[in-house]
Amino acid sequence: MTTPVLDCRDLRKSFDDLVAVNGVGFSVAPGETYGLLGPNGAGKTTTISMIAGLLERDDGEVLVEGRPLTTTSVSAKSAIGYVPQEIAIYPDLTGRENLRFFARLYGMSGDDLTRRMDEVLGIVGLADRADDPTKEYSGGMRRRLNIGIGLLHRPTLLILDEPTVGVDPQSRNAILESVDQLSAEGMAVLYTTHYMEEAERLCDRVGIIDLGELKAEGTRRELVSMVGERDEVLLALAGDVEAAASACRALPAVHDVSTREEHMELVVDEARKALPAILEAISYAGSAVRSVEVTEPDLEAVFLHLTGKALRD
Amino acid sequence: MRAALLIAAKDLRQRLRDRSAIMVAVVVPLGLAFVFNATLGGISTEGVAFRYGVVDEDRSEISAVFVDEVLPAVEEGGAIRVRSVPSDAEGRRSVEAGDLDALLVVPAGFGAAVEGSGAAEIRVVGDVDEPTAAQVARSIASTFVADLNAVRVAVATVADPHATDPAELDALVERAAAVATPVDVVDVTATTKELDVTTYYAAGMAVFFLFFTVQFGVASLLDERKDGTLSRLLAAPIGRSAILGGKLLTSFVIGTLSMATLIVATSLLLGADWGDGIGVALLVLSGVLAATGIMSIVATLAKTSEQAGNWQSIIAVVLGMLGGVFFPISQAPGFLPTLSLVTPQAWFLRGLSDMAGDTGWTVVLPAVLAMLVFAAVTGAIAAVRLDRMARL
Amino acid sequence: MRALAIAGVNVRRMLRDRSNVFFVFVFPMLLILVLGVSFGRGFEPRIGVVAADPGALGRDLVRTLEEMPDVDVARYDSVDDLRTSVERGQLEAGVVVPEGYDGAIRAGRDAEVRYLARQGELGLQLSRTVRSAVAEQGQRLRAARLFVAERAGSLDEGLARADVAAEALEPVEVVTTTVGEAIFPTSLGRFDLGASSTLLLFIFLTSMTSAVALIETRRLGLSRRMLSTPTSAGTIVAGEALGRLGIAMVQGLFIMLGSLILFGVDWGEPLGSAALLVSFALVGAGAGMFLGSLLRTEQQAIGLGILLGLGLGALGGCMVPMEFFSPTMRTVAHFTPHAWALDGYAELVRRDGTIVDVLPYVGILLAYAAVLLGLASWRLRRAITG
Repeated sequence: MTTPVLDCRDLRKSFDDLVAVNGVGFSVAPGETYGLLGPNGAGKTTTISMIAGLLERDDGEVLVEGRPLTTTSVSAKSAIGYVPQEIAIYPDLTGRENLRFFARLYGMSGDDLTRRMDEVLGIVGLADRADDPTKEYSGGMRRRLNIGIGLLHRPTLLILDEPTVGVDPQSRNAILESVDQLSAEGMAVLYTTHYMEEAERLCDRVGIIDLGELKAEGTRRELVSMVGERDEVLLALAGDVEAAASACRALPAVHDVSTREEHMELVVDEARKALPAILEAISYAGSAVRSVEVTEPDLEAVFLHLTGKALRD
Repeated sequence: MRAALLIAAKDLRQRLRDRSAIMVAVVVPLGLAFVFNATLGGISTEGVAFRYGVVDEDRSEISAVFVDEVLPAVEEGGAIRVRSVPSDAEGRRSVEAGDLDALLVVPAGFGAAVEGSGAAEIRVVGDVDEPTAAQVARSIASTFVADLNAVRVAVATVADPHATDPAELDALVERAAAVATPVDVVDVTATTKELDVTTYYAAGMAVFFLFFTVQFGVASLLDERKDGTLSRLLAAPIGRSAILGGKLLTSFVIGTLSMATLIVATSLLLGADWGDGIGVALLVLSGVLAATGIMSIVATLAKTSEQAGNWQSIIAVVLGMLGGVFFPISQAPGFLPTLSLVTPQAWFLRGLSDMAGDTGWTVVLPAVLAMLVFAAVTGAIAAVRLDRMARL
Repeated sequence: MRALAIAGVNVRRMLRDRSNVFFVFVFPMLLILVLGVSFGRGFEPRIGVVAADPGALGRDLVRTLEEMPDVDVARYDSVDDLRTSVERGQLEAGVVVPEGYDGAIRAGRDAEVRYLARQGELGLQLSRTVRSAVAEQGQRLRAARLFVAERAGSLDEGLARADVAAEALEPVEVVTTTVGEAIFPTSLGRFDLGASSTLLLFIFLTSMTSAVALIETRRLGLSRRMLSTPTSAGTIVAGEALGRLGIAMVQGLFIMLGSLILFGVDWGEPLGSAALLVSFALVGAGAGMFLGSLLRTEQQAIGLGILLGLGLGALGGCMVPMEFFSPTMRTVAHFTPHAWALDGYAELVRRDGTIVDVLPYVGILLAYAAVLLGLASWRLRRAITG
């Protein structure tokens, strides 16, 4: 088994009386995108801050590539690229100066630094504005630079803390695409969000967190099936609906069938896999399918099931 | 260490772009030094020669001694100029007009009265606004008069009240006159450990604004927290002491650079005389350290950068005033000069003043030591508090 | 009136900022206190004395020195301390009556008194004072010595007889009178001089730095917001001016009444005093507004505000009295409003003037105010209405 890029166990943190994080632990494999999904106040940022070594832990352990990481043990921090939720750049320095400063803090120098800086500027699309003071950047540009700084030192694990909050749809899409790209190139990513769509789109595995505790984790499939949610298939038919219904009821993957006029609604396991059999059964029963709609249960439903609350209020 | 230097370099770059830093560090103190020099630069701390007029209404042998021998001798001793004035009335007019600082009048009948053992007086007419000039004029006249009185008293003490032989009496008078005062006044010149007005205000303004200049280092820690960049610094593989070290280094460098600039500028442009280079360097370095320590503690007491700035301004102003940057509090009466030594500013100015007598740079060591003690104590406290501040 | 509402907001904003409380109210009072304590009592040269000999003759000399008028004699225990004080300017001169003073005189030898002073005129001048004290004591000693020489008695006997003889004589004296009108009359209270200069310095300084608030108002778009209400640009400008005047008046009244109550400062005839305050406050208001209308960032305003506030104050005689300036600088000083206001207060406080006497000064100050406010209004309107 390869060493996980990140392995954290039993993280705990309290602020006065408030228990913010209560025994959270998970691991991120190399090249994996792991999402921490939870509503505001769930403890995502506190957990991330402990992992990145910004906040003192009350208890627990953090290992990055097998090396322990604390607020004082600094070498392990080189493996992490941190992109905080709020934009953390110096307004009176230019984009290039910001990048150079942080690159040097991470031990880069010389030609390597210059090359990598230009590379990152290209990746985040700021090459032409690199020499302007960042206070003149638009909001989207600042966000891109914010992410760029995290990438500079070629980290093994990129930590993004709610990078799309308050961002316009276009920029948000650009950010998600970048993360997709980085992930495809083999970077491990730890991504926190309260947007289910992002978690579903980007993450290989998702950890659902609420009130400082990790309620469940796994791939989307695993989570969904963990709570017994099944897919729904809605078909508009031409022909004998009842015959089609009976045919489908006989299929092992189908759990329930209901009809309404010319529509048939099925509750099935893994609709994508079962669909060919369903379509065959319907055609065999002498009906024709006019339209198919597959609704897979989403993480929002999982969250609701696990916590009794909505993911977003 | 390397990280601390990187952070300090970044801070310095930011500060150089920030025009308010340059204003406070150089422009304003230099401007004020200019103004003070313009308004007060001509004033000498050692005073001016007194101008006396003398009127001899008596024209006797004795008054001639006073006017033609005693007064010129005093004039030769320096610091006093005497000229003859035709009449009492004209002399008074001159004093009132400010052309003379005081008038000495030997009234008619003086010599006769002295010889005849009658009452006699020399009159001094002073300017109400020049009490010291009047006082010194009186002293000069008193010395002469004391001499006359001494002979009289001596003769009266020794003479036989029943002796009537004038020749014997004359001889006695001569013997009495020959007895000299058995006390010599020996003049010892003390070194002048005082700065001239131009240098005093150049140094005063420099050390006053130093306490504003060093704020930029440590207070920026609060700014980093507000801007969110503190979390980036903490996420980087550098350690908290590097962050604090960088900030303190920034304060130190900015403070030293601004002081150096002011010293050069005031020396070249105003003719300020700061003294021996080594002594000045030691004072500046220890002063910057003390200022950094004190202002750092103040910064740690605040929650926002703005609050820190306010508190720092108040402390800087109070300490500056007590330390004597606006007026020479070291020359005030009572306990104030001692109280002022609670401030590093007072030690800085004292160090420079002590060097003013051309006594070599080692004379600044007590002041340097005092400021280093300030720096050490405040630095230790600040270090602990700053460490707590450099966390999320 | 809307202008008053704008003015009120300004005053409230100023009072709410806690650091302002120190600089606007507390610090001026502190300064008046320290100035009064340090320099309030006028300048008497200070002569330090170390009487190392316990004998009667030495003590007698010191007493003679102490009884001299117009010098302040302080006793010191150590010669090193005395020398340091002289060197540092805490004393104008020092006198050492060394050990063996009495002994030498009684033995018929000459004794020595050391006189310490820095190089310069004043040192030389004060040596005359010390010499005259020595000469005065010399009267008795010379008589006693003659007695010892002629009558072979003891020195003490000689001194006693000399005293008796002196009583019977008509003395030769020095009589002093003074002419002229005192620039600083003795009736001037200890804190009075510092009070008026501090008052003016701080009203102007506060007005200058309040330019920051004006810039902030513009920057935060508040001016535009005000303009979007049915308020004319003219009213806004008037409101800002009234606001600044209000702040200056609050500060000025606080300093005047506070120093009166705490330090017994005499501000002269109330009507004249108030007239000077109001007219100077208007000048400050105009200057602050003009500065705020010219500059664009708060940082520029703070730096320039402090420079101009302190600089013009110093030029105008608020730091060191104009009476110590050279004639040229006194003329230059009168380019500042401060100098005129100070002249007005001098008239009221030192020469018991009335409102009639200060009207010319008030007039000049109002002229300054009119020009500054006019310029400020013009620029501000342009800045607000874009």
